[in-house]
Amino acid sequence: MAKYLAKRLLRSVLTLMVILSIVFVLVRQMPIDGYFPNFEKLSEEQIQNGLHQMGMDRPLIAQLLSFFGDLLHGNLGISRIYRTNVPVTEILGPKIPVSVRLGVFSLLLSMIVGLPMGTMMARHKNGLFDHIGTGFIVLIEAVPAAVYYLFIQIYGTDLLHVSMLYDASRPETMILPVVSMALGNIAYYAMWLRRYMVDESNKDYVMLARIKGCGENRIMFRHIFRNAFVPMAQYLPTSFLNTVIGSIYIESLYSIPGMGGLLVDVIKRQDNAMIQAIVLLYASVGVIGLLLGDLLMVFLDPRISFSKKGGDR
Amino acid sequence: MKDTILSVTDLCVDFHLRGKTLHALRGVSLDVAEGESLAIVGESGSGKSVLNKNFIGLLDANGEITGGSIRYYGMGDKLRSTPEGGMDEEGRAYVELTRIPSRNKDWLRIRGSEICMIPQDPMTSLNPLKRIGAQISEALLLHHGMKGQMAYDETIRILEDVQIDHPQERYRQYPHELSGGQRQRIVIAIAIACQPKILICDEPTTALDVTVQAQVLSLLHQLKDKYRLTILFITHDLGVVANIADRVAVMYAGDIVEVGTSEEIFFDPRHPYTWALLSSLPQLGERGEELFTIRGTPPSLFTEITGDAFAMRNPQALMIDHRERPPYFSISPTHRARTWLLDPRAPKMERPGVLDRIKELGGKTDESKS
Repeated sequence: MAKYLAKRLLRSVLTLMVILSIVFVLVRQMPIDGYFPNFEKLSEEQIQNGLHQMGMDRPLIAQLLSFFGDLLHGNLGISRIYRTNVPVTEILGPKIPVSVRLGVFSLLLSMIVGLPMGTMMARHKNGLFDHIGTGFIVLIEAVPAAVYYLFIQIYGTDLLHVSMLYDASRPETMILPVVSMALGNIAYYAMWLRRYMVDESNKDYVMLARIKGCGENRIMFRHIFRNAFVPMAQYLPTSFLNTVIGSIYIESLYSIPGMGGLLVDVIKRQDNAMIQAIVLLYASVGVIGLLLGDLLMVFLDPRISFSKKGGDR
Repeated sequence: MKDTILSVTDLCVDFHLRGKTLHALRGVSLDVAEGESLAIVGESGSGKSVLNKNFIGLLDANGEITGGSIRYYGMGDKLRSTPEGGMDEEGRAYVELTRIPSRNKDWLRIRGSEICMIPQDPMTSLNPLKRIGAQISEALLLHHGMKGQMAYDETIRILEDVQIDHPQERYRQYPHELSGGQRQRIVIAIAIACQPKILICDEPTTALDVTVQAQVLSLLHQLKDKYRLTILFITHDLGVVANIADRVAVMYAGDIVEVGTSEEIFFDPRHPYTWALLSSLPQLGERGEELFTIRGTPPSLFTEITGDAFAMRNPQALMIDHRERPPYFSISPTHRARTWLLDPRAPKMERPGVLDRIKELGGKTDESKS
């Protein structure tokens, strides 16, 4: 177990390094015009001076090595363009918690609502609840998110008597963005859990449970749920990642000072240090998410083992 | 003869498939005596499993009981006040199983604790994510309210009863850590934990290899005595039947064509289908000769069958076999068969000579029994 974890972590670190190196090299292939707001007016000497200041006149390998060296000391570099000469950590520092909090709350909400919803739909398959649930899922999946996001903002703020915009000092302004973000995941979890549970309910072990005298509720919750949840477990961390990254629209709707859209913004403005930092962050969340997903599967399903390859499934 | 515990009369079951109706059971009648072991033999699709699924209320959703009755006598007065409770002419209380709707809670008082079943495939019949011990003690909790140390002790005792090695270790293991034979024993242990009066074994040995088959059969034999079980074996393996059954019912095309004690069926069969079935025993074949096979295929159950369902495949069928369905003729108090050959007016028909050799084999099976 410990050996597996160590191996897995080492691989994750390697993955991150590869991703960062590629991004690092790629952004340095871009024309240098972007580094200077007033490029046309500058003399060759000024340009060389500027590049030297940013440390960009050295060979690529040297730059890469010193980047990783700084990284070890927790130094992510200095933003040159997004905000002039401010350390990247200082810019991202206050933004990360805002986005993560939004993501965590919406993920919790979607699990608390989506999983029971899927279970109930499977329990009353083809019944009224199943039909209503299916209607909800189809609606959420079919209607562009932007449309119902707007609806929720317009009518929700009226209903709850909260302000249209996010205000860090008033937690109730978080409700609508969290709900908006959760809706898609609720539909997603309910749909897949229902499907996996219906699949499971036709298996032989369910038959034996029925034969030994289990009631339908006991069969659903004690026997089928965990079996159906195993294939879902690996999606959970990834959907957390998507929730954190994918909140661009919501963050701009409610003007939440989070990270949504930041990556696109800094790429457009060619702020290398910012790009690298944000890529590092997202890639880490992704890699950790996958690791957690695998661990969750092993924890839930005794047939999946750390040491053996494949295993008996 | 002992008291009847289960009595099936003229049971008809239809299945609705894509607008067509399949007559899976066509008027089955059968009495099961308390404490006996009865084998139900027949080829695939003859209705063995469908018949037994009615006893635990687990007929598939597209199936429908269209006639007949199943009276279960094992519960005494327990379900007397329900719509399905009743009293027969001799004053014995019964439960009319055909009258309990499939999702009714009353089934939970019958399934497991009264009538239990060992499903066909032990490899897939256990919950892969639950420990062996938990799966057995769940039955103890459901039917006897046992918990904690008491349930643990009882589970270990049952594991010893089904002759599992290292029961304490097995208790903590998961199904995928066990072999097929061991899993079959666990499934049997679950059934035993329910303490049913009737145990239905649905082809208990088909999924197992030959050496394990014999062990499982002898285990079932021991458990039958210890727990005073009434056992119904569903099987197409006549070897299993000879080894373990007191009585045999032969099914063909949704009907029981012949029923009698094991001796009567093996040594004095009367129905042409039983003849054919026994003739195809590989043990009767001559080295170097082709084994006997029954020509043709069973009739389609989508169409109404007139006459004897086996007539089409029987080269010596009588004219009337194609016209009218034969009634049961009694040969002895325990032996009856549905064939016109037993009518006094029928021509004398000799059964295949090869069947006389069963007696020679019979000696061997008797030895293996003891």
